[in-house]
Amino acid sequence: MTSLAPSRRSATTAEPPAPARRRADRTPYVLIAPSLVVLLGVLAYPLVKVVILSTQKWGVAQIFSASSAPTFVGLDNYTKLLGDSAFWTVLLRTVVLTVAMVGLSMGLGLGIALLMRQVPAWCRRGMTFALVMAWSVPTFISTEVFHWITEYNSGVANWALGIQPHNWYTDATQGLAVATAVVVWGAVPLIAITLYAGLMQIPSELVEAARMDGAGPWGVFRHITLPVLRSLLAMLTTLSVIWDFQVFNQIWILRNGAPSSDYYTLGIYAYVKAYAGHDYGLASATAVLTVVALLGVMVVYLRQIAKIGELS
Amino acid sequence: MPAPARSRRRERPATGARPAARAVWTALGVLVIAVWIFPVYWMATTAFKSTPAMEADPPQLWPHTPSLIHFRKVVDDPLFWDAVRNSALVTGITVPVAVLVAFASALAIARFRFRGRGTYLAAVMLVQMVPHVALVVPIFLTLSDVGLSDSVPGLVVTYLAFILPFAVWTLRGFVASVPKDLEEAAMTDGCTRMGAFRRIILPLTLPGLIATSVYAMILAWNEYLFAYFILASPDKYTVPLWLTHFVTSEGTDYGALMAGSVIVSTPVVIFFMIVQRHLAAGLTAGAVKG
Repeated sequence: MTSLAPSRRSATTAEPPAPARRRADRTPYVLIAPSLVVLLGVLAYPLVKVVILSTQKWGVAQIFSASSAPTFVGLDNYTKLLGDSAFWTVLLRTVVLTVAMVGLSMGLGLGIALLMRQVPAWCRRGMTFALVMAWSVPTFISTEVFHWITEYNSGVANWALGIQPHNWYTDATQGLAVATAVVVWGAVPLIAITLYAGLMQIPSELVEAARMDGAGPWGVFRHITLPVLRSLLAMLTTLSVIWDFQVFNQIWILRNGAPSSDYYTLGIYAYVKAYAGHDYGLASATAVLTVVALLGVMVVYLRQIAKIGELS
Repeated sequence: MPAPARSRRRERPATGARPAARAVWTALGVLVIAVWIFPVYWMATTAFKSTPAMEADPPQLWPHTPSLIHFRKVVDDPLFWDAVRNSALVTGITVPVAVLVAFASALAIARFRFRGRGTYLAAVMLVQMVPHVALVVPIFLTLSDVGLSDSVPGLVVTYLAFILPFAVWTLRGFVASVPKDLEEAAMTDGCTRMGAFRRIILPLTLPGLIATSVYAMILAWNEYLFAYFILASPDKYTVPLWLTHFVTSEGTDYGALMAGSVIVSTPVVIFFMIVQRHLAAGLTAGAVKG
């Protein structure tokens, strides 16, 4: 990406003026202190707490009586979890859903971003308007709208497909397909608009030059578009994986806050264990395993961050 | 590269665009518009239909006899106004605090070299990747420990933490794209460091500040999961939580729900339309420009 920002690099490597440098000893720490306090208090401390909880027996007795302190049970929660065949079913379902959601969101997002370069200006403005509109609709509202569109008797989707009345939610596969549609519908705007903004940074001379050298549309895409978008694509894919792996709201709301077990994803499973089963220890162990499962993806993302960190 | 992405927009090269292909692309573009606008359209039109009209077969593709009955049901509920007040309060506190705190951090990262800078940056991003669902239980317990569960301040603090990583990251991109030479030139001309900040950095990062504010506003206004866990008393509900009371085990009052949704989404949509260019530019500034 440095070729796109040559002036910036030279600017940032310039020495700061001397007085600022002397003061710089303390100033940056004062500046980051507030955010550090919030992040440590609200995210880091609870995260540590999750890990500790996951090694304890923490149930109803511990909540309602001060005398029965949580007891340390080592890895019991983990062995219980990993020995539960339901957990593996839930994990597999979560992975499949994540792959479908991320694949569809990224594919459609990239496709729409590329399409926006090919259409006339009025159409591009219309697409931006529609996408931004969809982007700004809160998740819980868009989910309820999809719920209404797929409603048993009066859902417009059933009417359009000529299958009314039809219950989309007795079969979990169909229900989860609706959930996937809600997630993808909500995720594509951010991806498409960000990628389109990235596409605008490709100098047209570069594309021209490639054309002169005999590159077809596919060649231009492969050798110019993709390399330029690579860091954006990596970032968006990783964020999508992280977001979609935790999918909760959409399924929760589509099932009116009472999903049957064939709708469970890891997030819902952990919640049901914690609040319905009052087993916070087991729920925390599920949460820790979720983080561990995501670590592989995070490594890619962190490397990207580290690269950008070095540059600036 | 201080220029935002859109100013570099260039005319698409004319070569290679055959009329037939162009028609296909345009048709696809119109399809995209239809798919992404339809749910929003359906929400808005449902809100204006009377209940029999909502259930008409075949469905009315537009309200034949527009009705305000659902809107009346929403605005006549005193709890709705409580919820609006709570949401406005949560959003009104969260947004300025989040932007201020994030801007300070972004300045530190983009303008100073200090020990622990890389660690801080990595930690901020790592924290963003922790599944929210995983933190629901411990955040709830932590807030209970300090007496902040079921309270607006508890919700504000939680939202701050979720907004900060993205906000710091986006603002960092904006601050970094202001050339240092500009500041130095201002200081050579007699500005103090504070003066240079006020006259150079602040105006040039304004789009980023707006973008971050909107991001924070949308999150605080729309958030459902943590509000659901943290708030227990109905008079403390935020709007998203209040809306869910139309969904009961006996069925869902879709008309009122859609009317409420229209009222709730409208301010967000308007703000978003105003600033979306800055938001997209900010995302790209952070990701591409290093």
